[in-house]
Amino acid sequence: MSDKPTIWRALDRKAMAVAEFTLRQQRKRLSTWVVMGVGFLAMAVLTMFYIDSMMRDYEAIDNDGDSRDFDMDGYPNGQEILYGTDILDSDSHPGLLNPPVAPDDPSKWIDEDDFDIESLAAGSYGYDDDGDCRTEEKTASQQDTNNNNIPCDVKVTEPSYYNGFDAGILGDRGVDEDPDDDSYAKESIHRAFVLALGKFGFVFLIGIFVPLFMATGLVRDEMTSGTMHYMLSKPIARSEVFLYRILGFLGLAWPYMTGMVVLAALVTGFFGPSDGFFRFKDLGVWMAVLLASLLAILVYAMLFCLLGVLWKHGIILALPFAAWELGMILTTLGAPDAAILRFSVIGWAMNIVDAGAALAWSDTSLLLELGLWAGGSNNAEPLTGSLALEIFASDSGLGLTPLMTIVVSICVMLFQAATCWFLGGALFKSKEID
Amino acid sequence: MPDPTQQGSAETKEWQPDVNMPVVYFQGVSKSYGRIHALSNITLGLSGGVTGLLGMNGAGKSTMFKLIMGKLKPSAGEVRLFGTDPWKNPAPYARVGFVPEHEKMHDWMTALDFVSTFARLHGMTRDKARKEAIRVLDFVGLSDVINKQIGQFSKGMRQRTKIAHALVNDPQLIILDEPLQGCDPLARTTVMNVIRELGKMGRTVLVSSHILSEIERITEQIVILHQGKLVALGNLHAIRERLDEIPHTIRIVGEDARSLAKDILGHPAVFGLSFPSNTELLIQTYHFGSLHSELPGLIVNNGHKVTLIDNPDDDLESLLGHLTGGSA
Repeated sequence: MSDKPTIWRALDRKAMAVAEFTLRQQRKRLSTWVVMGVGFLAMAVLTMFYIDSMMRDYEAIDNDGDSRDFDMDGYPNGQEILYGTDILDSDSHPGLLNPPVAPDDPSKWIDEDDFDIESLAAGSYGYDDDGDCRTEEKTASQQDTNNNNIPCDVKVTEPSYYNGFDAGILGDRGVDEDPDDDSYAKESIHRAFVLALGKFGFVFLIGIFVPLFMATGLVRDEMTSGTMHYMLSKPIARSEVFLYRILGFLGLAWPYMTGMVVLAALVTGFFGPSDGFFRFKDLGVWMAVLLASLLAILVYAMLFCLLGVLWKHGIILALPFAAWELGMILTTLGAPDAAILRFSVIGWAMNIVDAGAALAWSDTSLLLELGLWAGGSNNAEPLTGSLALEIFASDSGLGLTPLMTIVVSICVMLFQAATCWFLGGALFKSKEID
Repeated sequence: MPDPTQQGSAETKEWQPDVNMPVVYFQGVSKSYGRIHALSNITLGLSGGVTGLLGMNGAGKSTMFKLIMGKLKPSAGEVRLFGTDPWKNPAPYARVGFVPEHEKMHDWMTALDFVSTFARLHGMTRDKARKEAIRVLDFVGLSDVINKQIGQFSKGMRQRTKIAHALVNDPQLIILDEPLQGCDPLARTTVMNVIRELGKMGRTVLVSSHILSEIERITEQIVILHQGKLVALGNLHAIRERLDEIPHTIRIVGEDARSLAKDILGHPAVFGLSFPSNTELLIQTYHFGSLHSELPGLIVNNGHKVTLIDNPDDDLESLLGHLTGGSA
């Protein structure tokens, strides 16, 4: 490497010097480790709840009443429907058929037909696993009660979170009518937790509070203590100092965030419901969470550092902003397309997470709707886990394809960070330092 | 000291000092905080050699330095550093070393860390910065403790570390804000020697102090500030000459003050004598300059044994008092 001075090499030396200095300075502070430790503990406690919910058995519920025996003839309703006998007449049951059929244990008719779903789109789905629709006892019209000319299927029309209870799903009687509550609960609670931890834990809590405590004073503390004189008596522009201080902070905050997200991805990957030993299909969501949280830390750090330069009690200005962001993240859950979200940071970060979730789990909205539909019988309650999933899963609000949503959101967040840097640098430059 | 060709900063390649301007140039500079005037209408130019900036606390010395260092924006007038406005452009700092008055340092760093980290802001590579840091720490006499934390340093060591940090880029202009304050006698001597040596190398050095005798030991070229105004500028002895018409006191301590008094009483410049003790003589004079130069001859020719001659009221306060007509 030649030692010929160029602007870039000099910039690089200064940037590295300030960033390294900042990183070491933060590392020496007890408060840094307290903030990070508290963040880790908070995430660990949330993960404990998750592990508990994955280890637990969810009670199998007879969603459609097939295990009951209305006519008290010893044959559960489901078995009578399968053989075409009258569930309300005790003199009509499969035991009278030739050859006679022995009565089933009623527990066999709880969770007798799980959802058969592959991917999300309008169309025809489902398979009658237990055969109570496909039975030859039924006529063609009895096998096609949803009138789509396909016998024994579930018809799905444009699923969306806003269609309301089972409005988009109509199954032929006896198809997917009594899902496995335990597997449904685990799958949807797992997804709800991944989204909840990603959105509220990483992007919101850590994304805001780590910069709040560590970045607000990046420039301000040095100005107050007088040590800024050393840095500012060197041939370095103040906006450079601002930027390189942030870089040093990111040198600590980004690996911290990455480590936490990777840890969460590993824990949920091993404990989550899957056929193999590890749930690889969540990785896309975790990558989106990581991307969103790193960008959130960047924007918040720039903003809070700017507020610190603006006023020596900048943290007081940052707190109302954090409250605003909390309001905005709650808004993304119910109304992800609200225009007001464009004026937040978290709204764009949530777009990235939701778009990542849409790419990795294309069937979330169908899963959610099936849980609310719960087999379609009149007295069916929403399945356990579906309400949690309904809260934390949402569409990304831009109305673009997931990939475009991610690209646009990254650009917007980088623009937000650059704006804060520009303003912070200009403000710092206009400050007199005593 | 290093040779100036070692400078590696990109800025020095782009930015060029204006050679037709003094290193530090103030043109009608005022600085006020609300209704308080920290500096009023200062005009001066400084280039080369050691200049002492004298003034009481609050006279505007630090304000002046902060204006030079671009930390403050002048309320009126122009500040130029190598011909460039330092408030707008930090490039001239490639040639400046600044030792701030602030006590606070990065106590968790070692002296070597501290100096080399900030050396890199001059665009030096890591290795170069380390090499230069070791060199300047040796120059200020701290080579034994370069790997010790600054937090464990004495005040004098901290002061010398700050000076090393300011010298690491081999600056043309060195500014030291109250560098002797709080130093023990040994550190004081070291710091003074360092400053004198820098002056001999032809660097422009600006040292502030509120103690006249300290500055006197370093340089004769002084600037006196009082309540934000420039009261005197130039050679300290020349300034004293101007004060000839003002009564001065000279104190002589010797074996026999009374016999000495007899010989001195006849001198036309003397208008009063007093004897605080048998060995001590106080002389009142209106012509300090002429008497001061003739005194040694008088003493030697008459065979008196004298152990000390000094000016008991020749501190900054009385000097200022005379300069400002008693308003100090």
